[in-house]
Amino acid sequence: MQVVGLTTPQEVFVASRERKFRINEILVIEDPHQGSLIGEVVEANSYNRFIPLSINHDFVDARVIESLERLGYSISEDEINIARVKLRNEASFPVTTGAKVHLPEFSEVKDLLVRSTPQEGLALGEIKNTEETAATMDENLKGLFYVYTRGEKKRTKNVPFLLDLRSFQQYPHIGIFGGSGSGKSYGLRVIMEELMLKEIPAIILDPHYEMDFSTKEEGLEGTPDFNGAFKKFQIGEDIGVEFLALGKRDLLDLLSAVKPLTEAMSSAVEILHRRGDTLLSFSSRLELLAEALELGRIRIEKILQQDMEPQEREKYKKMKELLEEYPNIPLVSVQGISWRLRRLQASGLFNHNIKPVKEALLQGKLAVIQGPIWLLQVFSTYLLANLYRARRDYKDGELKGNAKGEYFPPFVIATDEAHNFAPKGYDAPSKGIITEIAQEGRKYGVFLVLATQRPTLLDETVTAQLNTKIIFRTVRGHDIATITEETDIGAEEAKRLPYLPSGDAFVSSPLFGRTVAIRVRLPYTKSPHTLNPFDEIKHYRQKAEEKLLDLLEAHLPIYEVNLLKVIQALNAEAPDLKLEVRTLKESLESLVKRGKLQKTDTPFGAMYHQ
Amino acid sequence: MEVLNENLKREFAVAASVLRKRLEQRPDRKSLRDLIEKSGLGRFKKSRRMTNRELESLFAKGGIVGVDGSTNSTAGPFPYIITVQQSLAKSTAIREEIYYTRVLCPLFMQEDMDEAEYLELTKSSLASLEAMAALEAVEKLKPAVILLDGSLVRLKIEAKNLWEDLKEAAINKGILLAGVVEGISTKVVSATLKESLPEAVREACDWELLFGTLDIGEGLEVVPTSFKEGFRTVFMRTSIDPKPIGIDLLEEQYEHLEQVESLIFTLTPQDGRGIPLWLDLVDKKVKISDALLEGLLKAYLGEDFSEFLTPKRAKRSP
Repeated sequence: MQVVGLTTPQEVFVASRERKFRINEILVIEDPHQGSLIGEVVEANSYNRFIPLSINHDFVDARVIESLERLGYSISEDEINIARVKLRNEASFPVTTGAKVHLPEFSEVKDLLVRSTPQEGLALGEIKNTEETAATMDENLKGLFYVYTRGEKKRTKNVPFLLDLRSFQQYPHIGIFGGSGSGKSYGLRVIMEELMLKEIPAIILDPHYEMDFSTKEEGLEGTPDFNGAFKKFQIGEDIGVEFLALGKRDLLDLLSAVKPLTEAMSSAVEILHRRGDTLLSFSSRLELLAEALELGRIRIEKILQQDMEPQEREKYKKMKELLEEYPNIPLVSVQGISWRLRRLQASGLFNHNIKPVKEALLQGKLAVIQGPIWLLQVFSTYLLANLYRARRDYKDGELKGNAKGEYFPPFVIATDEAHNFAPKGYDAPSKGIITEIAQEGRKYGVFLVLATQRPTLLDETVTAQLNTKIIFRTVRGHDIATITEETDIGAEEAKRLPYLPSGDAFVSSPLFGRTVAIRVRLPYTKSPHTLNPFDEIKHYRQKAEEKLLDLLEAHLPIYEVNLLKVIQALNAEAPDLKLEVRTLKESLESLVKRGKLQKTDTPFGAMYHQ
Repeated sequence: MEVLNENLKREFAVAASVLRKRLEQRPDRKSLRDLIEKSGLGRFKKSRRMTNRELESLFAKGGIVGVDGSTNSTAGPFPYIITVQQSLAKSTAIREEIYYTRVLCPLFMQEDMDEAEYLELTKSSLASLEAMAALEAVEKLKPAVILLDGSLVRLKIEAKNLWEDLKEAAINKGILLAGVVEGISTKVVSATLKESLPEAVREACDWELLFGTLDIGEGLEVVPTSFKEGFRTVFMRTSIDPKPIGIDLLEEQYEHLEQVESLIFTLTPQDGRGIPLWLDLVDKKVKISDALLEGLLKAYLGEDFSEFLTPKRAKRSP
């Protein structure tokens, strides 16, 4: 390998007869005047001097080439491989043409590739095309995990990509960008697994119900067991909101998450909600006011003049007071608010609190927060604000020399579909807290891992704070433009973004000072819904059919005229089938069609038998 | 100026119409084929492509070798010229390549000669270089077949002694020698058919008459006469290009003619101009380009002296 052609202090061409180059490969140039220079392959070409697209304007067909191969000629014999190599650091003057080039030993490029240890860093994947260099690597860095290459699960042979956790203090927050199917979810899963391995307290918002770590990926050796390391919480079932702790703002957000509030409703809530309100006190105030508005002042006064139980009297007196206190609130607003409140109540949101999440974090576990996205959005606002406050209060107290505050650990917050939580251009309940953490979280040791397929839709203040960006395949031009703007990704890499295979990504991090191409490691665990939905249909149908066939067997042969009796018997045996004449007949016909049953015409109509 | 232009146009139109007439008088495909068959000049025969197994068995016997030469001279006025010549024998089976090179300069020749004599000398010199490369290929590379670029007769005429050695070695070792002629200049068809042909094409070259007459993969094997004594010749259309190529083979190796035809047909790109790819490869590799020659001059003679060899013509602005 040697430098050929015209060189510049930034870029050279390297040619080799024997070795094909790969993009992102690191090469060492032995410049006789400037010493060793390190460069990275940004473009790789091969060409055959004798077999270009045309020889003397002749187009060469593959058949002739094959014939020559049969005669012993190997096409690669006359092949020349050329790489465009960008120097890592600009040289003082142009590189000497003819300078020798070699593949680096690990020790030559260690600082460029590995910035942490397997004990301290998150092992996210392997650095692409570093096999030769990895061979001379320290033993403790070799074969740390599995990767998925060409349809096979194999132990990595490349240099591992270790993301230094400690550097987060300096360069906080991770952004994960990539379209659907690009490997983004795998990336998020890998980060979560690594956090669990390091026992870092973390929360992940999981609108897709996919963050379960109990099913191990098959065929891997030495996979860790995550069963005790994470805890799943369903909003409304395991965790919820303490109504007493809600501020006006929180309440407004919660209510508007059910359905956006009108202007009148918002101001009504602001007037009606009082400090120290419990769910009961607030909701009964609403109901009473609604009733009062419906009756009207005059009627209430009339009723009060009548004779009645003291309890009753108390109620109407209160109604009157409410009407006097809130004279300008329209009935529809009150009704609207109470409908929303009932819906939140029905979700179970107010029956629980966030204590279990806090406990999980204190134990260094990963808390997986699951719920429908509308609920997750508001709940997370409440949850994150609370947790962040807890951490901040502790830390501020410590700084003020008042270490008495309750200990709360630093933690990581992760979410997919982050553009829903901190959208650009409009307001969302959770946007405020996420922006705050993005800007200040570093001080308190609260870090974000935000994944999205639409970086363009993510709030810019937040994007700007994501120091490490992991970029998977991205096809949309808009998003590619955003990515090039927000990262140090070069034009060459940006061009490759739409073609990245699933699981390959570029990592742009100030820590490395260059874009690193990686292949994300294979997660140790897998998502609960990896079953193809079309397989699911097939499985379901097959199962249902087998079940029916089992039940039918006892009743065979079945006469068409006798269906009703069979249905009664079947429904007694298996009420969940909810059979009717029509559906049973359809099922019988379909079983006949599939050859599981036979149908014969008899004087008593059709007969189904085996 | 105007008048001169008019004259030029008229003159050109006349020449073009003569050429047109000549082309129009060419016998059509069918009648020409009939004429050739009736005259006993030769027979038409279709070749087939070799199977992979046949190719592999050729490889087992040593593969094939392509031999080609190249010559180029600096552009100065005679005798201020330097001629560089090179020949190459390259095997499909063995990596080693055989090169022979020679540099000539009329200023330093033993005997005085004029430009025409010098030209003759360069021709026979090149032929001898090619024969030497082929001869060494017979000894060292031991292929099954040697394909030479150009006719075998040319070697026999230009490099008699070496040719005899080559022929003998090839026959003894059972190596097939075949010449592949891109530009056919013989007139054997018109010489045989003579009066049966329209007047305009009675003196036509073989390629002109056979242009478009053969199917792809079809050859016209010429019956041995005094024409090219000691050789067998086939005109063959090996690609979509309607202009046929010529294939020469030793009389002694006549029995292998079919195999050689088939091999050449197999190695020729269907959409190409009809030359086996291997010879094109060798040609590319052996070629002494103007740039190379200039580079040699500048490196060894120096910028100042190389100026000496550059004719005024070359400095004309376009």
